[in-house]
Amino acid sequence: MAKALIKLAYRQVIDALSTSDFEKKIFHTSYEEFLLKSQAYNMEGKFKTFDQIKANDGRANSLHYKLAIAVTHFIDALGNQIPELEDQLGNPVKFEVPEFKLLASDLTNKMAHEIAITYVTGELTLVTIINNYLVLACGDQRENSGPANTFTIKIQPNLAIVQFEEAQIIV
Amino acid sequence: MVLESCKKSSSDDGTSSSLKASGSTSSVAGEAPTEEEGPFPYPGGEATNPLQRIDVTDGQTGVPLALTLTIINVNNNKAVVPNVRVDMWQCNKDGYYSGYANQPGALGTQSYVGKTWLRGYQVSDASGLIKFNTIYPGWYSGRATHIHLELFINGVLKKTTQMAFTESISDVVHVSTLYSAHGINTTRNANDSVFGNSAVDLSIETLNLAGSVSAGYTGTLNIGLAL
Repeated sequence: MAKALIKLAYRQVIDALSTSDFEKKIFHTSYEEFLLKSQAYNMEGKFKTFDQIKANDGRANSLHYKLAIAVTHFIDALGNQIPELEDQLGNPVKFEVPEFKLLASDLTNKMAHEIAITYVTGELTLVTIINNYLVLACGDQRENSGPANTFTIKIQPNLAIVQFEEAQIIV
Repeated sequence: MVLESCKKSSSDDGTSSSLKASGSTSSVAGEAPTEEEGPFPYPGGEATNPLQRIDVTDGQTGVPLALTLTIINVNNNKAVVPNVRVDMWQCNKDGYYSGYANQPGALGTQSYVGKTWLRGYQVSDASGLIKFNTIYPGWYSGRATHIHLELFINGVLKKTTQMAFTESISDVVHVSTLYSAHGINTTRNANDSVFGNSAVDLSIETLNLAGSVSAGYTGTLNIGLAL
């Protein structure tokens, strides 16, 4: 296969059952922020869930960003390393952009609060795919005909290729 | 382009229930007008949140602006109100907000996801005082120069408002070195979709500024709550 320039994304869903210290901080802080900042879109307190609030006032979609801002310092502490994801040698995988999304919440039921963080990598070169494994190199190595340092990641749930650009074939 | 959430809602006739938490604009003399909360507000919660801070500049360059706000109760002879959490947020000198992706503007489309500059919150002290060290805001198309505020008491949103700036001063700042690439704000206060509907409201929410580009500015304002 021709090499391709890609970006990977890994999605981490955090809810009331999440167990890591990082997840708990994200969960609790984002919920407190939801209680605080959703009021701007629900001044009379008529609605209880995020879906209801959004249906009433589409500007409530800003809550994705507002909650993300509230937990930025926790995400910063990751040092750009994607939680739960390693290459086949146990090395961390770096992300460039964390995309935060409020999936669900309820002003009266903290157990219903659920968020997702999708960690998007920088540009990687997809060198080849061997069975269920992606062989990757950092940066754009498409035109590099010599040896390249690579790392291998298993194709797994919550992992996706979100950007793809194949090498130009010059005839 | 006016950022959607910075506009008044299309249904806003001055009595929009989503905005008028403490009554309609200027229903009580001296009460801070309720204004659009805008698209880019701020967080908080835990005791060690780094965004509970006086200095919100976080690496952003600009003409310094030291804000001193006094929270007062217009229903109680303007008595000061302690323990009010005040969240502020504003755009940088180029007219962009931290935390948001795909913002159109003077430097093209920019994304600042993962950034929190020019955002912060404080809790008013026994004298009702709040201080923020920030920069003079830039501007973006369709809005007069402004800073956003939200005020909470015991976790309850009491006021969403914005602070306006005297144009004669903004015009000086916006042609100074750091801001000159963007130039003077083409949206004047009187024509602004948020400030332009009431001269009385505008006067209540306009910062009292003193200083200069070289020395920086101080800005003071009483923020009135009808409690």
